[in-house]
Amino acid sequence: MSQYLFVVFLSPLFTGIFSKFKSRIESKKGPSIFQPYYDIFKLFRKETLIPEGSGILFRYVPYAAFGVYSLISLIVPVLIPVPVFFTASADFLGGAILFSLAAFLKMSAAMNSGSNFSAMGTSRIISFNFLAEGALITVFFGVSLITATNNPYTTHSFLSTNLLQNFSLVHIFSTLAFFMLFLYETGKIPLQSEGLPELGMIDSGLNFEYSGKLLAINRWTSHMKQYLLGSIFLNVFFVPWGLFSTYPLFLLDFPVMFLKWMLLIFIVIVIETTLAKLRLFKVLDYLATAFTFSVLFLIFSEVIV
Amino acid sequence: MNALIEVLIYPISSFILISAFYLQAQEFVRSMVIGQMIQSALLGFLSFVIGFAESDYDFFILGVLIVVLRAFLVTYMLERRVPREKIHLHEKKVDVAFTFLVNLILVVTAVFLIYFLIFRSIHLVPDIGSSTIFIFPLTLFFQGLFLIASRKTTFAQIIGYVEEENALVLFAMFLLPIPLIIEASVFLDVLALVVVSSIVVIEKFAHEKMEDLVGLSHRHFLRCLSFSFRLRRTLPIASRESPLLLWAGD
Repeated sequence: MSQYLFVVFLSPLFTGIFSKFKSRIESKKGPSIFQPYYDIFKLFRKETLIPEGSGILFRYVPYAAFGVYSLISLIVPVLIPVPVFFTASADFLGGAILFSLAAFLKMSAAMNSGSNFSAMGTSRIISFNFLAEGALITVFFGVSLITATNNPYTTHSFLSTNLLQNFSLVHIFSTLAFFMLFLYETGKIPLQSEGLPELGMIDSGLNFEYSGKLLAINRWTSHMKQYLLGSIFLNVFFVPWGLFSTYPLFLLDFPVMFLKWMLLIFIVIVIETTLAKLRLFKVLDYLATAFTFSVLFLIFSEVIV
Repeated sequence: MNALIEVLIYPISSFILISAFYLQAQEFVRSMVIGQMIQSALLGFLSFVIGFAESDYDFFILGVLIVVLRAFLVTYMLERRVPREKIHLHEKKVDVAFTFLVNLILVVTAVFLIYFLIFRSIHLVPDIGSSTIFIFPLTLFFQGLFLIASRKTTFAQIIGYVEEENALVLFAMFLLPIPLIIEASVFLDVLALVVVSSIVVIEKFAHEKMEDLVGLSHRHFLRCLSFSFRLRRTLPIASRESPLLLWAGD
């Protein structure tokens, strides 16, 4: 339960820390690290406007998407490496399908809003996602091949105890491909940026018609998604060490996870402040690169024994 | 040795393949030349690593040859041919996503068919591991082929050729003992080709479609040919110098 509460209540904090650090590097004062919380509270108090042409999906999907991400946080090892309530209900692929389900729900809701901007954002996401989803599933296949299991907890345990496996070809390139996907899915700078949204917007198009409480839930969902993807990247791919499952050592997991996230935030900030934003149609090239790496080295790893 | 292969040889070979993908994705000629240099330098480094692992001086000589001739000399010759005033010389319409996916399909089908039909039965000297390592040079070879087929500029095609030769050298490195004399001849071959090609680059920068033949059906084409022959016979000598007529006459 602590894992679930950690994901739900602390995921906006990491977004706040990221924004603060990025602003400091850009010589700006930046918002408070609690700004995402303030935004969510503010939006909860605001009036919710429902567009005239929208349907039932528009109104209820934010709750469903929040539920899907809550379920994922009870499946994958994002804090304590001990199987929790719903771990047995889904494996890596199940997790990937749940991420896809949440994306599909959000796209359906955006289309249901009746807004042209939302439709444009949705069409962009769909035209990019066919490669992103393929790469995500291939990456999980790759990890499964290393450990001969599809259970994320077993994978985490295997990788944290077998050091050499972290340097195998398939693991290195799966990590690279997953990190590229992480940047895409969380809307980081080589792919998406703040400002001038109609030119480069991909994910922000989905929230165009939302306001008030529904927008607050959507924002919260985005923070949770970022935390979940980042934690999977850290705990299964990049640095699977340092987490404990026994009492009282598991209490160390909280600061360890915090430090791991600081490392990830540092890497992402370096990328965001050094790279220019790609043009919109170059996003497909970026995702094709991630897909190519994941597929090629998955096949290589299967042949090279 | 096995640990060394796991930790060094496979990753370096993988980076060589990634450099091939990098070359495939580049539009700018200068970036391609630099990519070719990096690929050759990685190949040279791999030769040193194998030489160190096998305690064989031949590999060190090979590594020096690769670095000097390919990473330096070939790059120098190609760079000299990039016009100074056109530093942003590039090939338009390089669709990276499409080429990557087609490249992936080509590599996966061709390499694995060839590997499983032919190379699987080859047994290497035990130190270097199993024959699966041949997948790297095979993949590189097909990427070089695909680079030549997918591009129009002469620069890209020369670099594709150099990439193929790199694949052959990589292949030879994994086959022990190394036939150094053949390697030396391959290098000279590449060097001669690059010298000749650098002249071709000046003459013909890109290989475009032959506009005159676009849209002609076979019958129409033959009719045009017979017409041009008749025309040539009837025209005075000075007016026969039209390129199309000369080509048709040949």
